Amino acid sequence: MTVRRFSFLLLAAFAAAASAGCAPKTAYLWGDYDSVLYAHYANPQDSERYLERLGQIVQKAEVEKDKVPPGLYAEYGYALFEAGRLDEAIVYYRKEREEWEESRVFMDKMIRNTQRLKENRPGPAPGGELPPPAGTTPGAAPAVEAK
Amino acid sequence: MSRPGLLLPLLGFLFLSLGCAAAPPKKDYSAFRAADPRSILIVPVVNNTTNVEAPGLFLSTLPIPVAERGFYVFPVNMVKGVLENEGLSDPNLVHTADTARLCNLFGADAVLYVSIEAWTAKYMVINTEVTVEFDYVMKDGKTGDTIWKERRRVVSNSSDGAQDPLSPLVMAVIAKAYPNYMPLARNANSRVFTAPGIGLPAGPRHKEYGNPADSGK
Repeated sequence: MTVRRFSFLLLAAFAAAASAGCAPKTAYLWGDYDSVLYAHYANPQDSERYLERLGQIVQKAEVEKDKVPPGLYAEYGYALFEAGRLDEAIVYYRKEREEWEESRVFMDKMIRNTQRLKENRPGPAPGGELPPPAGTTPGAAPAVEAK
Repeated sequence: MSRPGLLLPLLGFLFLSLGCAAAPPKKDYSAFRAADPRSILIVPVVNNTTNVEAPGLFLSTLPIPVAERGFYVFPVNMVKGVLENEGLSDPNLVHTADTARLCNLFGADAVLYVSIEAWTAKYMVINTEVTVEFDYVMKDGKTGDTIWKERRRVVSNSSDGAQDPLSPLVMAVIAKAYPNYMPLARNANSRVFTAPGIGLPAGPRHKEYGNPADSGK
């Protein structure tokens, strides 16, 4: 009787473990990255909110999972870049580069281009002002140079 | 006389098991395995529908399922921005550009090209039938050859979601005014990237990487 009871308990525990395993489990802590992108495309004017929400995802993943999903440091860095915060952008491009070796070619180019842009731009970035839309200012584009 | 009695269920069993095996037509993964990509560049999607919001919305659903298969995925919005600054703001141009050159710019092993073939809502009396269809092609960054492709169509009826006991009619009206494409898009991606015999084989950052039994599981 006790053996049967025990095996029943074991079975129940196994079933619970199995069903827990069935819950959508991801390798990375994405937060609401897809919704943030979705909102950004649905409402591109609200770039401040986009930047803020990306930052929250990155921070949460750093604290809770000790691993930021692939591409997210760079995505946040690029949002900082678009907000004119070039120094911070470089910091996050570097983090991406350190965390994901697959990103090195791309990040090296972006870091180089951003640094060049910084040198050509006198003085600190105007507070909160966004750079002009892509293509309107020659030289201001974070163009990836062809080899 | 005992033979047919044994043979019939046997045949039936064989037929059944064949039917199961045949359900997802097995893909040839040899080109994919030979290319063995570690990093995937997801470029902006081509829109073959009249819905102007579809490409941005659909792009947002792509990076997570691909990265979860064990690949490094380049930041999609950053990639989009950089391509625009390169003069490639039209996704059609990106999709027709040389794959090897594109991969060279980003240091990517492969490119995922997706096009939206359907993104429509058909309005009926109280519910809305939403249809999405996508075409996915992955090309090798070195050769430009196609190493994996899939096409997926998903149709749903919004009355399924209008189960609110308080006001099913109100729910239906809301669903009719704002058809929700996103669950369907996610559903399509999930099947396309993870279904056994259809999806992407596990990438280098996945624990099943290199497992011969894993054929795009």
